[in-house]
Amino acid sequence: MSFTIVGKSLPRVDGLEKVTGTAVYTGDMKLPGMLVGKVLRSPYAHAKIVKIDTSKAKSLPGVKSVLTYADTPKILWNSAGFPPSQGAILVEDQYILTDKPRFAGDAVAAVAAVDEDTAMTALELIEVEYEVLPAVFDAREAMKAGAPLLHSAGQNLAGFIPIDIGDIEQGFRDADYIFEDRYVTHKVNQASLEPCGVSIASFDVNGRLTLWTSTQMPHLVRAIVAKSLGMAVGKVRLIKPHVGGGFGSRLGAVNEPISALLARKSGRPVKLQYTREEAFQATESRHPITFELKTGVKKDGTFTARQMKAYINAGAYATHTPSFAGPVAGWFLAMYKCPNIKYEGYSVYTNTAPTGAFRGYGNPQVVFAVESQLDEIARTIGMDPRELTLKNHPCKGEVWVWSNWEIENCGLEEAVSKGADSIGWEEKRGKAQGSSPNKKRGVGMGYMMHVSGARPMLHETASAIIKFNQDGSANLIYSSSDCGQGSSTVLSQIAAEELGIPFENVIITKEADTDVAPFDIGSHASRQIYSGGNAVRLAARQAKAKLLEQAAQMLEVGVDQLEVRDGTVLVKENPGKNLPVAEVVYQALYGKHGHEIMGMSSTEPPGNPPVYAAQFAEVEVDTQTGEVTVIKLVAAHDTGTAINPASVEGQIQGALQQGMGYALTEEVMLDQATGRILNPDFTDYKLLTTMDMPEIEAIIVQAASTSGPFGAKSIGESGLVPTAAAIANAIYDAVGVRVKELPITTEKVLALLREKEGT
Amino acid sequence: MKVAISLNINGEEYHLNVEPQRTLLDAIREDIGLTGTKKGCDSGDCGACTIILDGEPVNSCIVLAVDANGKQITTIEGLAANGTLHPLQDAFVQHGAVQCGFCTPGMVLAAKALLDKKPNPTEQEIREGMVGNLCRCTGYAKIIEAVKSVSAANSVSGA
Repeated sequence: MSFTIVGKSLPRVDGLEKVTGTAVYTGDMKLPGMLVGKVLRSPYAHAKIVKIDTSKAKSLPGVKSVLTYADTPKILWNSAGFPPSQGAILVEDQYILTDKPRFAGDAVAAVAAVDEDTAMTALELIEVEYEVLPAVFDAREAMKAGAPLLHSAGQNLAGFIPIDIGDIEQGFRDADYIFEDRYVTHKVNQASLEPCGVSIASFDVNGRLTLWTSTQMPHLVRAIVAKSLGMAVGKVRLIKPHVGGGFGSRLGAVNEPISALLARKSGRPVKLQYTREEAFQATESRHPITFELKTGVKKDGTFTARQMKAYINAGAYATHTPSFAGPVAGWFLAMYKCPNIKYEGYSVYTNTAPTGAFRGYGNPQVVFAVESQLDEIARTIGMDPRELTLKNHPCKGEVWVWSNWEIENCGLEEAVSKGADSIGWEEKRGKAQGSSPNKKRGVGMGYMMHVSGARPMLHETASAIIKFNQDGSANLIYSSSDCGQGSSTVLSQIAAEELGIPFENVIITKEADTDVAPFDIGSHASRQIYSGGNAVRLAARQAKAKLLEQAAQMLEVGVDQLEVRDGTVLVKENPGKNLPVAEVVYQALYGKHGHEIMGMSSTEPPGNPPVYAAQFAEVEVDTQTGEVTVIKLVAAHDTGTAINPASVEGQIQGALQQGMGYALTEEVMLDQATGRILNPDFTDYKLLTTMDMPEIEAIIVQAASTSGPFGAKSIGESGLVPTAAAIANAIYDAVGVRVKELPITTEKVLALLREKEGT
Repeated sequence: MKVAISLNINGEEYHLNVEPQRTLLDAIREDIGLTGTKKGCDSGDCGACTIILDGEPVNSCIVLAVDANGKQITTIEGLAANGTLHPLQDAFVQHGAVQCGFCTPGMVLAAKALLDKKPNPTEQEIREGMVGNLCRCTGYAKIIEAVKSVSAANSVSGA
């Protein structure tokens, strides 16, 4: 089927405002009488507040509110932006401000003042007496008897998920080879360019709260804030302006409850904007996970046993973690077929900044471990890793363990083939050639599967309203959670294609306003196009049906004789007989029976078609220094129909920067003595720059889904999932050493090279 | 003790009284209300606050407002002339180089500063010229393409 708008790399609907600097982000906004909020943070990783005296701060001229734990509603809540679905385990263990800081950076007080300088001075005037408690930073240490306890339960185990399929011991007995390895992944920060944590709260005279905030989940965050303040949801209105990147950092409440509480107590609007330092210290980052991976395999490459133990560092509060442990298990289970699988996932509290959601949601961690080991397995049994992956991955038509639904389509073979060609696999694998005597090159591969939405674990509700204007354009009213990924543009393309009107004539609500736009879960789980697009398409269908009904009357033909093409309603068999959409709409509004032509949908999509990818890396390793240079990254992704190919490409390219950073340079470093973050800035938290990025190639494979809008699946998270594994495997191909602990630094490679030399 | 300064921004004079420690970024955003220039780190590392100061691209978060007194400043708002986009702005949109948009004003200005000095840079020179601008959404790929396309147009037109 050929489309006129879907499949085209149309420019972003919000491109113009962004290149001219007129796009408004939350931090750009000012309200009359607005105060500036600031938060006082515990310097200690674990402490009790013995005494907190705010009198000096309160009497500073210009200070309008100073709050501590005493002022917070005694309502426990969880910041994670999930619907209360079956798969959501929401442990409520946070107050808005704490009297028992559990990580260095935990919020102990907040002020609102007439300007930033006054607010910061006020913070300095708050006198806090802490009783410092012992702290623990490592998940495995925190599980031991005698470890300092963070919450009221008698242990730091926030959750435990055991899964047993088949007979794992028999599986190991059936194996020809057994591989047992430990892999360690680390804490990284989403580091969106707009620092995480910016909101403006304002109560009106009716006691209604309006929040402007940079969020990924407008409707869900609205509900979380309402709960944290003890308010009815209907009393809260949340507006999302343009957002400077999310990547999971805004997948829930960030600082909205604090700004709202300050607004309530001061009686004035309050803007609370975190610094970059605070974004590192106090917003949710990626889960560090330590894996113990044991795999049994036959000579022919069949898996007989797959076993994983995962120690998941939750940080100081539960947030996402108890739920997150489920997907961690799921990624492991669902990526390769095996009759005997055992998984044990431990979620553990530690006195570090809470972890939350970061693009990939556990999959980058799992895939680093599994695909590093797979490369080992392939070498040992003498099989190409491509063959080993293709042999064992779940295929089209098979039931996917993640969802228990049939896999609609699979483009992995094509992805592997094209990716391998592009990297030059045959020519380069196992050759260890270098550009000079001390340098060796290698190629490696990583494979992954990911989701399109969060069904069946979580609700995938999306809604859309379409209403026609008398000039033939259509408003698409949608709770936009576009944080830069481009969903607003693609959803507009879907609407335009379905309606039969020009792309420029669809006007989507770029801001989300919970008073206006119907319920949508938000931006997570790579769902905006699969789930959101589904609702948009259904709403468009309904609107179009009503348009055709009106046109049928005007043209005096049957409805099924009509179609809409490029803004004109025409008789299929006799296109000369037609009406502009504008005229039809006008007649509907002002004709015999005045009514607006509208369509509406609020629903969940039918399934969860998985996506597949194979990424390939070519690296060069300096054998004298251990330095790794990435020469090329090839990312071949099955995304289903690419509704906007340039956008899909852009998502992959951006994700590769994050994936390569995850592999090689990014690390949130903790002072082991105090639990404070040593590098909460871009000088020492190393984001890859224009000079660091290698040649990258994004290959889009379109194995269309049957259930997605125009065959779409997803791309949002996948782009960084297998990158670290591909790079690690390429390093091994080059120099025969394997770093099993991220990030793969020069020091670690050098140490292994020296060790290898010594043997 | 506030200091009286005069900032020439996009061809217009703004008269301000600022504390000596006020950064140029805060003066532009808060005192003048031109919010196109963004605050990404406030420590001179990310380039989101890039403006052009007497022809040089600078991180306005580490320039004092008092030090910009009397100098020529171009912010993103000053690029489009009479409703017509600067070729770089148009190229960014057409090439899909804009995702969240937060790095965009700084990127465009850094690119402009580069092309104003060197109308036909190589890819390597583009990457060097923009190394001070971080982006977390695009992997820089389409940004480089966009700048290249303007550079190519420059060589065709003999700029």
